Amino acid sequence: MKWAKLILPPLIVGVGGILGWELLVKVGRIAPYVLPAPSAIWSELVEQRSNILDAALASGLNALVGLVAGAILGVLAAMLASRWSLLSEVSIPIAAVLNALPIIALAPILNNMFESTSSLPRRLVTAIIVFFPVFVNTLRGLREVNPTHRELMESYAASGWTFARLVRLPGALPFVFTGLRQASALAVIAAVVAEYFGGLQNGLGSRITQAASFTAYPRAWAFVVGACVLGLVFYLSTLLLERLATPWRTRT
Amino acid sequence: MTAVVLEQVSKVFNQGRADEVVALSDVDLTIQRGQFLSLIGPSGCGKSTLLRLIADLLAPSAGTVTVAGKPARKARLDQEYGIAFQQAGLFEWRTVRRNVELPLELRGTGRAERKARADEMLSLVGLLDFAGHYPAQLSGGMQQRVAIARALAVHPPLLLMDEPFGALDEMTRERLQVELLQICAKTGTSTVFVTHSIPEAVFLSDVVVVMSPRPGRITATIPVDLGERTDATRQSEKFFAAITEVRRALRGGSS
Repeated sequence: MKWAKLILPPLIVGVGGILGWELLVKVGRIAPYVLPAPSAIWSELVEQRSNILDAALASGLNALVGLVAGAILGVLAAMLASRWSLLSEVSIPIAAVLNALPIIALAPILNNMFESTSSLPRRLVTAIIVFFPVFVNTLRGLREVNPTHRELMESYAASGWTFARLVRLPGALPFVFTGLRQASALAVIAAVVAEYFGGLQNGLGSRITQAASFTAYPRAWAFVVGACVLGLVFYLSTLLLERLATPWRTRT
Repeated sequence: MTAVVLEQVSKVFNQGRADEVVALSDVDLTIQRGQFLSLIGPSGCGKSTLLRLIADLLAPSAGTVTVAGKPARKARLDQEYGIAFQQAGLFEWRTVRRNVELPLELRGTGRAERKARADEMLSLVGLLDFAGHYPAQLSGGMQQRVAIARALAVHPPLLLMDEPFGALDEMTRERLQVELLQICAKTGTSTVFVTHSIPEAVFLSDVVVVMSPRPGRITATIPVDLGERTDATRQSEKFFAAITEVRRALRGGSS
């Protein structure tokens, strides 16, 4: 009953939206290069399923490597910055400014720095994009320490490292995951879009540009659907990981 | 044997600056072993500061603080006291049992003994059944009981409490007062208890220390002898007489 309430409304809206789309294309006689019908995309999806899966695995691996590397760097940098208050005061506005830059624009430059068969430029772009939300959120979490916890640990004569390990880090964990949730969706976008700028032609992004240049629009859309699913998988995996890592927040 | 001795203790915040505040001036106080002593007074009278000086969370500007026969700093490093605050301050990512185990963990106590000691303390506050729960699953009163169990986990000779029942409703508060007294009697712990409730101070204490602000100082030390405390104590003549005495001392201090 509770599940039905949770699932039914978005399901109805989703199915209704797709039906409306199909109807609009069919009745409105919209040209397929403007907007293909969902049924056409679906048949491409079925036909190309193994290609889509391969491409999704290639892009997904790039996104995953970038996500993990960027997240680790982000957490480490935040730990470092939180040790010195001046450093964290300075680093938050700098991080905000850097974050506002379109980092994806670095992709062609990075592509030229490495061999054309290397996946490294994509992973680098992804890692850089992931770094900022993780860094900013983790730093916020590390700096927000309950004053009672602080006094209590002082009364136990706990050292700086013990304090960090037992109080700061677990206390910051929910913030780390807030950053990771934003980052996980960004990682897939970054990995896919970075492929638009050349390099290896094995991922979803390159398949989308290829299909589009052959005017095979329904096929291009099928790969876009693949990218959507990949993004969802990343996001939901992060949510699951969050539940497992912070059990105290879900059990009430 | 004395639990705590303060001699000529003063505490000045922001010394030498325009916003200098004399939080405590020339405080002399002795707390005997096993004694339950309350600090009471209006906001800003320095009662919490006094508690933090005993806990060595603050250093005195002048004078000496001796806890369990040693300098306050040494006593803190040796975990000679347990402390509880107005906020239970439980670590929400640890289960109730692991919260109580924390001070033992920091002492390097072994896993098996830690668990045994935590369970002992949790049954003392009547929460053994909730050992595996997370703090967010408990009510405010239960959380405060866990905080008390945690403060007692290392079997400290001294218990310091800063308005631990301040945020609780009256019913819970009275029940916890009775429980606290039973625990202190059972463990033989000396207690310093900060409160701004007169009935609470009188009900709990062997000695009520009345303080007044600007500068924070002790204005009266009132011994309370009500015999064994039960719920009937709250209706007794002696209880009301003691409350009147403390109230008079508080008024006298502020005029």
